[in-house]
Amino acid sequence: MAFLELNSINTYYGRSHILFDVSLSIEKGEVVSLIGRNGAGKSTTFRSIIGLTPPQAGEVLFRGERISGLRAFRICRKGIGFVPEDRRCFPDLTVRENLEVAARREKETAVPWTVERIYALFPRLQEREKNLGSQLSGGEQQMLTIARTLMTNPEVLLLDEPSEGLAPLVVSLLADMILRIRKEGVTVLLAEQNLHFCAKVSDRGYVIDKGSVKYEGTMSDLLSNEEVKEKYLAV
Amino acid sequence: MDLSFLTVQVLSALRQAAFLFLISSGLTLIFGVLNILNFAHGALYMLGAYFMYWVTLQIVGPAGFLLALVAAPLGVAVIAAVIELGLLRRIYIQEEIYQLLLTYALVLIIDDLAKIVFGPEFKSISKPEILSGSVTLFDGTVPVYTLLVVVLAPAVAALLWYLLYRTKTGKVVRATSSDREMADALGINMSALFTLVFAFGAVLAGLGGALAGPARTVFPGVGTEVIIESFVVVVIGGLGNLWGALIGSILIGSLETIGIIVFPEFEMSLIYLLMVAVLVVRPWGLFGRPLKVKALSEKNLAMEAQEISPVHFAVHPAVRWAPLLLLLLVPLFAGRFYQYLLTQIFVASLMAIAFNLLLGMTGLLSFGQAAFFGVGAYTAGLLLTKTGLGTLSALALSPVVAAAAAGVIGFFCVRLSGVHFAMLTLAFGQLIFTVVYKWYGFTGGDNGIQGIPVNPIPLGGLGDIDIGSTQSMYYFVLAVVALSVELLRRIRSSPFGATLKSIRENGQRAAYLGLNVKLYQWTAFVVAGAFTGLAGGLYALMEKSISPEIIHWTKSAEPVLMSIIGGIYTFVGPAVGAVVYITLNSYLVAWTEKWALVLGLVLLTLVLLLPGGVVGFVNEKARQTLGKLRCIRKWSFSKSATS
Repeated sequence: MAFLELNSINTYYGRSHILFDVSLSIEKGEVVSLIGRNGAGKSTTFRSIIGLTPPQAGEVLFRGERISGLRAFRICRKGIGFVPEDRRCFPDLTVRENLEVAARREKETAVPWTVERIYALFPRLQEREKNLGSQLSGGEQQMLTIARTLMTNPEVLLLDEPSEGLAPLVVSLLADMILRIRKEGVTVLLAEQNLHFCAKVSDRGYVIDKGSVKYEGTMSDLLSNEEVKEKYLAV
Repeated sequence: MDLSFLTVQVLSALRQAAFLFLISSGLTLIFGVLNILNFAHGALYMLGAYFMYWVTLQIVGPAGFLLALVAAPLGVAVIAAVIELGLLRRIYIQEEIYQLLLTYALVLIIDDLAKIVFGPEFKSISKPEILSGSVTLFDGTVPVYTLLVVVLAPAVAALLWYLLYRTKTGKVVRATSSDREMADALGINMSALFTLVFAFGAVLAGLGGALAGPARTVFPGVGTEVIIESFVVVVIGGLGNLWGALIGSILIGSLETIGIIVFPEFEMSLIYLLMVAVLVVRPWGLFGRPLKVKALSEKNLAMEAQEISPVHFAVHPAVRWAPLLLLLLVPLFAGRFYQYLLTQIFVASLMAIAFNLLLGMTGLLSFGQAAFFGVGAYTAGLLLTKTGLGTLSALALSPVVAAAAAGVIGFFCVRLSGVHFAMLTLAFGQLIFTVVYKWYGFTGGDNGIQGIPVNPIPLGGLGDIDIGSTQSMYYFVLAVVALSVELLRRIRSSPFGATLKSIRENGQRAAYLGLNVKLYQWTAFVVAGAFTGLAGGLYALMEKSISPEIIHWTKSAEPVLMSIIGGIYTFVGPAVGAVVYITLNSYLVAWTEKWALVLGLVLLTLVLLLPGGVVGFVNEKARQTLGKLRCIRKWSFSKSATS
């Protein structure tokens, strides 16, 4: 039994069918990438898992328990954290408040995330503690949204295109952070367009295109598979 | 100006500001989190005052007063919680307008229930002796009660600040008001939070009522004025912004006090003028910012439930004109009452269909259509009484003047969207209302215009048509309305109409296609204004007397209600709504004093059960049946083909 499992989910926006029988399987402690172009269905897959756009067919299992059909806040409380792609910090709240509103601890995890531990991981956020969310730079906002989700003490972190629009220097910083988060025992599902970024942080990947999974394998296999890269990832 | 005068006036302004703040802070809080502009907030205020009245009658003296001050807001909170859990919760996925309508239905229901329980008369609430006296402050005589209110309101503001900025729940509330979906994904239980915030907002409204009750009076319907004032406050301050509500309250409170001294005639006009001025300069209010467009998924879900566009019933022209033939025959077998009723329905239908050009077609909720109706009616009324102009010429000028008014007002309004657009149209409407209401020299003020002469219409050499009788007026109005409706139908099915629909569906994309969205919206606004003005002109002719009530905002609510009752995504929907509304109205008034209560319940049922409106519902059923028929036909066809 996989830690997080998607069994042929089908998701719609209104009448338009977006995801076609998407199946994923993630083991505890892994970092898995979901790679695809713009509009391939990555964000919709994440929204389906977290329950913001529930799938209309198929199921999502977490630790073997069906979570699809639950409301988003319940799924979050089960231990799934979602970091959306557009970095939705709460603009009117300070950095510290952004972290505080998310703080929750549903299970007795060994070392729960606290504001202090977050500051140790993201020192920059401590410096900007009293600034409003709207006053942060893009990279800082990205750190804050990740940090905010960590405050819910998730066991699985869904990271939606964290590298998008960030300077190369910040992107490599981000890669370090993801590896450190993994070291803390958090399982990560990463949606990305940036194949090389994925290769840095994850072992396994799925390639998604037009709402269905086209390829699945280790990152090293994928990197050497020119056909798949050409067909589904080249712009 | 001496010191004593200044002291008295400043304290009076602050007292007014204090009441306004208590009510509007709850309103703005509810809007911030639930995204609902709660029309029923004024009714909750009224309940607070009534509970205060009731408790102070049971327990006389200072203890009773104190107890009432605590119990009344809590009582209101319980009622609000029931409303949220039982009603509002069911329609969060619907478009905003249905939520607005639901709270409006609640106003009608709560007002009438208050009338049943407490009676229709004005009630005054007695204050305990220690609060009834007055003290001398800087040589001015100030009532003790005013001091109490002026001290209590800032204390409430401070408490609110503490709750919102220093407690976790408060921070969660602020987070939710900027991004609901994100809060949901972070494990925050929206349902529980919504109930909490709605009830808490009601506590503030109830406290406002409980405190204001002894200073003012309370009567059923007192909320309708209070709610509009609070709308002005929160819109000026910025919807959803607590500090905006505070500053807005002080501004409006001061302006009202100054207005009473300097321009006693046009005191109310001043506040609407201020609102218009603020929104023209800062469209989102002093502290507000543009509201977020709903997330695509959210919007799509709502559209899915509502939009009935895939069905196009190609109606044969003969079928379309058949009802007209039928209506031509009505006077042969129906008496004067029915002819009059139908004439009223024609006028209302024209107004509603014209209005729906904005709401259903363009996606703009105008809450100031009564202004154009009134401008049309007063144009015809004034021309006929004060000049020797003929009936037809006067009527022909009604839409022209109304269109001109709509041109000016629309210029400012189309720069806004959503609820801000609605509020600015409301402000303009009320501005016109207050001017007409007080301008005795020109409009006759609250007396209106009586005995409008309706002269026979000359037909060249063919003699005259006298439209003085009920029957001839029936035919005259029918003819004008039928022509106008046909024109509106053509506008709807023209490329212009299609463009409006594309703007409703996605204004941004329409703009990317190179369309001047604002110009199209403005044109739609002017066209709707013109036809509404024509309806007003007809109204003046048929009633032969007009009064400013036809411009009041409650009149602006009528086409909104009719359109929603009938279905906003259909052309005839608003007319069907007009039939239902006018018929209900006239029969209910004859049958029961509690017509508002019944109307409210009908609206409530409609919103909860038939969100697509009557015509939308019928269309949907027809589509399903047709779909099934087609399936069966295809199926039998393919079977016979394979076998």
